Amino acid sequence: MIYQAIGLQKQFDNGKVAALRGLDLEIRQGEFVAIVGQSGCGKSTLLQMLGALDKPSAGTLKYRGNSIPDLPDPAAYRAQQIGFVFQAFHLLPTFTVLENVQIPMFGGNLSRPQRKAGAAELLESVGLGHRFNHYPSELSGGERQRVAIARGLANKPGVVLADEPTGNLDSESALQIIDLLLDLHRKLGVTLVLVTHDLSIAARASRIIRMKDGRVISDQATPTN
Amino acid sequence: MTFFTIVLRSLTRRPVRTGLTLVGISIGIAAVVTLVGMAWGYEKGVANQLDAVGTDVVVSNMSGGLMPKVFNESLKAKVATLPRVVDATSILMQMLSVEDAPIMMISGREWGGFAWQKMSLLEGRMPKNAAEKAVVLGTLAAEVLKKKVGDTVQIEVEELPVVGIVDGHALMENGTIFLSLKVMQEVTGNDGKINFVNIRAIPNTSKAQINQLCRDIHGIFPEGRAMVSTEVVGTSQGFRVIRAISWSTSLLAIIVGVLGVMNTMLMTVFERTHEIGILLAVGWRRRRIVAMVLCESALLGLLGGLVGVGLGVLGLVTLGASPGVRGFIEPDLNPQLMLISIAISVVVGVISGLYPAWRSSRLTPSVALQS
Ligand SMILES: Nc1ncnc2c1ncn2[C@@H]1O[C@H](COP(=O)(O)OP(=O)(O)OP(=O)(O)O)[C@@H](O)[C@H]1O
Ligand SMILES: [Mg+2]
Repeated sequence: MIYQAIGLQKQFDNGKVAALRGLDLEIRQGEFVAIVGQSGCGKSTLLQMLGALDKPSAGTLKYRGNSIPDLPDPAAYRAQQIGFVFQAFHLLPTFTVLENVQIPMFGGNLSRPQRKAGAAELLESVGLGHRFNHYPSELSGGERQRVAIARGLANKPGVVLADEPTGNLDSESALQIIDLLLDLHRKLGVTLVLVTHDLSIAARASRIIRMKDGRVISDQATPTN
Repeated sequence: MTFFTIVLRSLTRRPVRTGLTLVGISIGIAAVVTLVGMAWGYEKGVANQLDAVGTDVVVSNMSGGLMPKVFNESLKAKVATLPRVVDATSILMQMLSVEDAPIMMISGREWGGFAWQKMSLLEGRMPKNAAEKAVVLGTLAAEVLKKKVGDTVQIEVEELPVVGIVDGHALMENGTIFLSLKVMQEVTGNDGKINFVNIRAIPNTSKAQINQLCRDIHGIFPEGRAMVSTEVVGTSQGFRVIRAISWSTSLLAIIVGVLGVMNTMLMTVFERTHEIGILLAVGWRRRRIVAMVLCESALLGLLGGLVGVGLGVLGLVTLGASPGVRGFIEPDLNPQLMLISIAISVVVGVISGLYPAWRSSRLTPSVALQS
C-alpha cells in the first residue's frame, strides 16, 4: 500500500470551508488512478495532502505506512518521492527550460554537470531536446507541460501526482501529454494519480475514483485495463 | 546552473529596482566613507602637526568648540619650571576666515620658541622680531590665498605684509598663517592671552613620567588639560564631537539603506510568493529558501558597498580639493575604513533580508502555489 487515507479531513478558513470530509482511500504501488468529480469536490485538496503541500485537519494519511503530516523531512519527501504536474504548469519564468528541470536537483548531491546532463536527458525523453535554452513563455502549452513533467521526474520519484495536467491544453496536446504520462507509468512503473474532468482520459486509468463533497463516492477498476 | 545563478537571476530580473536599491545603499555607504574619512583625516592632520612641531605635551582648555578657550599667558612660565620639562612655548591659535578663504588656521607663536624652529624657509625671510607686524605663510596657505612674498594679508582689520613662505613638514602646518604671538594677540584683541602651551620633555622620558607631568600641570591649571601629543586626538572633546557627528550621520544613512534593501527584499519576496511555492513543491527546504533570500540581500549589500566606497572616495577627493578644506584637512583614504564600510554594507544587506526571508520560509506550499 503506497497511500492509505482514513477519515481524512481538510478545512479552510477556520473550519468555514470543508474541502475533505472524512475521505477513505487506498492506492497501491504502481497503480494508475484517475480521480474525477465536480468542481470544488476536493480533488486538488486531496492531491495537496498526498504530496505534503499542506497538512490535513483530521484523519490519518499514510505513505508506505508513515504518517505524511508527521514526516520528519517533508521537503525530502516532496523532492525524492513525488513528482508534481499541475494544470497551470508552474514553471519559473526567469529560468530556461534546461534550468527549470534542474531546480528540484539542488537538494541532492549531484554535481553541476550531473544536474545539467540529467536535465538534458529528461528533456530528450519528453521530446524537447531542441528547446533547452528557451524560456517557458516561448513555448506552447503542450511543450510547457512536457517541461513540467520532465521537472517532476528530476529525482526519479515513485509517484507522480498530476492535477488536471491537460486542463489548459487543446485536445491534441492533451492526448500527447496523457500518452507521455502513461508511457512513464508503464516504463518506469511510477504510481500515477491523475485528476481530470475528461472521462475519456479517466477511462485509460486502471481505476477511477469518483469524489463528491469531500468524500469518495465510487471506486471502480476500469474493464479495459 | 548553480545556487548562485538562481540568486543572481532574481536580482537581474528587475534591473531598475535593483539599481535604485543599489543607489540607496551606496549613498549611505558613501556618506560613511566621506564623513568618517574627513574626521579621520582631520585627526591625523592634527597628530602630524604636533609631531612636525616637535611637541610632547599640549596644555589647553578644550572644553567646548573646536578651538580651545584662551587663558592667561603667565601659565607658561609656571609650567616651564615643572620637572622633566626642557622647553615650553606659548601659542595663540584661531580659525578665522581670511579674505576669500572661508576658514584658515592662524597661529601666533611666541617669538624664538621651538614652534618656529622646525619650519624651513623657502622664500623671503622670517619676521625680524617679536614685534614686527608681518606674517609667513605655509606653502598651502600661500596657494589657497594666492599670495606671494611682498603681498599683504588682511587678518581681522589689520593688513599684514607677507615676508616669507615656509615648509612646515605637515599638511596642517603648511595650511597655516604664522605670526609672532605678540602681534597675534594685538590683532585679535587677546592681550596677554594664549590658548596653547606646547611642551617638550627631556629625551627618553618614560610614559609614566609624562603622565606624572600631565597630572602636575593639571594641579596648577585645573580648568585645563595636559595631553600627551600622541593622545590629543583621542581624548579631546572637539574630536569626540566630530567623531560622534560623523558616525551618527553615517548611522542614519545606514538606517536609510537598511530600509531601502528591506523594502526591496519584501517586494521581491511578495511578488515571488508563487515561485517560492513552486520551489517548495519541488522539494526545496525552507532553509534553502531562507539562504536564497539572504544571499540576494547580502549580494545587494556587497554591490552597494563597492559602489558606495567608490562614490565615497570620489567624495573625499573632491572635498579634499575644495577651497574650505584644502590645506586644512587631508581626507583619509584609509583602506581599513573602506573594508569596514563594505563589511557594514554586507551586514546591512543580511539584516534587511532577515524579515523577508523569515516570511518566505513560513509560507504553506499549497497556499503559495495558489497566489
Ligand atoms: N486555500 C483555500 N482556502 C479556502 N478554501 C479553499 C482553499 N483551497 C480550496 N478551497 C475550497 O475547498 C473546496 C475544494 O477545493 P479543491 O480545489 O480541492 O476542489 P477541486 O475538486 O480541485 O475543484 P476543481 O475541479 O475546480 O479544481 C472548494 O470549495 C474550494 O473553494
Ligand atoms: Mg482542482
